[in-house]
Amino acid sequence: MKNETPANPLEMLAYFISLQIKDSTVVYVGTGLPMVAAILAHKTHAPHITMVYESGGQDPIAGDMPWSVGDPFTWRKAAVMQEMAYSFGQAAGGYVDIAFLGFAQVDMYGNVNTHHIGKDLTNPKARLTGSGGNNDLSSLTENMILVGLQTPERFPEKVDFITSVGYLEGGETRREAGLIGNGPLAVVSQWGIYDFEPKTKRMRVKSLTPGIPFEIAQQTTGFELLKPEGEIPETPMIPSDILDVLRTDVDPGGVFTTMPS
Amino acid sequence: MSTFTYNSEALQNLHIEDTTLLDRLVDFESARDAHLRKPRDKADKRTSLKEAVAEYVSDGDILFDAGFAYVRSCHQAYFEIMRQGKKNLQAIGAPTSNQSYMINDGSVKFSHNAYIGAEMRGTDRNYSRQLKEGNVTILSEWSHGGIAQGLKAAQLGAPGIFSKQMLGSDIMKHNPYIKTMQNPMRDDPDPVAFIPALYPDVVFIHVQVADKYGNACIYGPVVNDTAVAAASRKVIITAEEIVPEISLRYNRKGVTIPFIYADAVVELPFGAVPGNMPGYYYWARQWWEKLLRYGSTDKERFKKFHDEWMINTKDQFEFVEKLGGAKWIAEARRQTKAAEGENEDIDFSYQEYTPDNDTGLYY
Repeated sequence: MKNETPANPLEMLAYFISLQIKDSTVVYVGTGLPMVAAILAHKTHAPHITMVYESGGQDPIAGDMPWSVGDPFTWRKAAVMQEMAYSFGQAAGGYVDIAFLGFAQVDMYGNVNTHHIGKDLTNPKARLTGSGGNNDLSSLTENMILVGLQTPERFPEKVDFITSVGYLEGGETRREAGLIGNGPLAVVSQWGIYDFEPKTKRMRVKSLTPGIPFEIAQQTTGFELLKPEGEIPETPMIPSDILDVLRTDVDPGGVFTTMPS
Repeated sequence: MSTFTYNSEALQNLHIEDTTLLDRLVDFESARDAHLRKPRDKADKRTSLKEAVAEYVSDGDILFDAGFAYVRSCHQAYFEIMRQGKKNLQAIGAPTSNQSYMINDGSVKFSHNAYIGAEMRGTDRNYSRQLKEGNVTILSEWSHGGIAQGLKAAQLGAPGIFSKQMLGSDIMKHNPYIKTMQNPMRDDPDPVAFIPALYPDVVFIHVQVADKYGNACIYGPVVNDTAVAAASRKVIITAEEIVPEISLRYNRKGVTIPFIYADAVVELPFGAVPGNMPGYYYWARQWWEKLLRYGSTDKERFKKFHDEWMINTKDQFEFVEKLGGAKWIAEARRQTKAAEGENEDIDFSYQEYTPDNDTGLYY
């Protein structure tokens, strides 16, 4: 093993995300941890996934960790490079099974905010990135998984700005708004994996990180988290051989998996 | 020019009173007129970057940021635009990252936002600060796909596209242009977003090779560039190399923009520095990290970084010297070719820039 230290929260998060990727699917890859998770999955349990990137590359041959979604590693010897409009168009057309989206905030209906913190877009507390491809993928892919760190401010009852619609106001409101695809399948944070109760579409605990009781997950959430029937399962911990792959093969430079100091 | 109907909720949310600022982005007739007037002859359109910026960028223009923020984007043109003191530009793109350092000195005054920042390099605190200080005004919010579709509509010669993106989101409530309506083809309720065709005023498209007439060939991701070349009123092709026309006819690898769209051609080696130019140079990762992790943290640092690299650097050659000269050129070429699978694999590990760890290296 390259390194004996236990997995840090970002590495754990990358693993939890990678567990959501099924083999033989078309995966739209966004920047950050989703990229790490997709590449980790590709090198471990899901070697037959096809990866798609919004700068145009798809199905590149494997190389180093891309430094950005536009990095040449995302289109390395790709047989096909789509223009941006067509890259998203194929998602609308039914060729993309799953997308992984980051969030600055996520609310109880899985709506995502990457625009700003504060009440007014024109005069916010802090301006963030804006949509990028986040909204496009949330609107069009068959399934999506939301990925980010969990704190009460990041998991508010209502996000400050809906960049990307999850289930909007719950129930059937997502479908009524005209969006296609099934909406968020899960939210993955360092404390747990959450899904959405089928009727109300409210966020619900699916499994918890080993050692984390439900109370921690609830305390770091700004709304009432639903609980599943029966005992809450534990998310599998990253096995040491997979951690090894992550540290040696996937992100050896720790570009995306080094904890901010 | 035509008059337009805007989404009044968006106008309110954005505090926009004077909508004339919004008109030109969607004015088909003036774009068509500009295109009709372009000379058709195959003339030698070569000029210098200085002359191209002086002649084709006007104060108040809608400037499109082509490429993908730091992939095949003509940063050297953006720096020259600032050096020439162009003012009150409206910035638009997908991403819209490069506008941020153009607000500092009043070059960019208005944003049609799609994405600000450089992914994991760090949060762009400069844009946030400029926005809060009122130095830049947001005219519209978009997703990447929305911008892509608006430009595609223009390239298709269509008044607009019906999209399934952005519906129900707060982006819609902050975009004066997009209209939610019922799909006219379906009986059941099926909301769609009408995205009008978009017509920027001016764009600099950096390509690997072009001929002197303006046929321009892109290798690597095209992103939105064939669409924005067709849409924009003014198109400046900047190229790493100028090749004979015959070589584009017979030896082409990639996608070509037709010469009739080009107003000017600039032979501009290193035009996309410090970004990545597929086939030519990898990005200077530490430069972007320094911009965001040092420069954007406060006003004085930003001004220092901005002035050193963008205002007091006279052209791309001086810029490359500051990055490390010939050694940088060799390393950056090796890196991009290795990443593309064209050269033998190399080690991509590097010393990330942090304020506590400035190696002064950019490769």
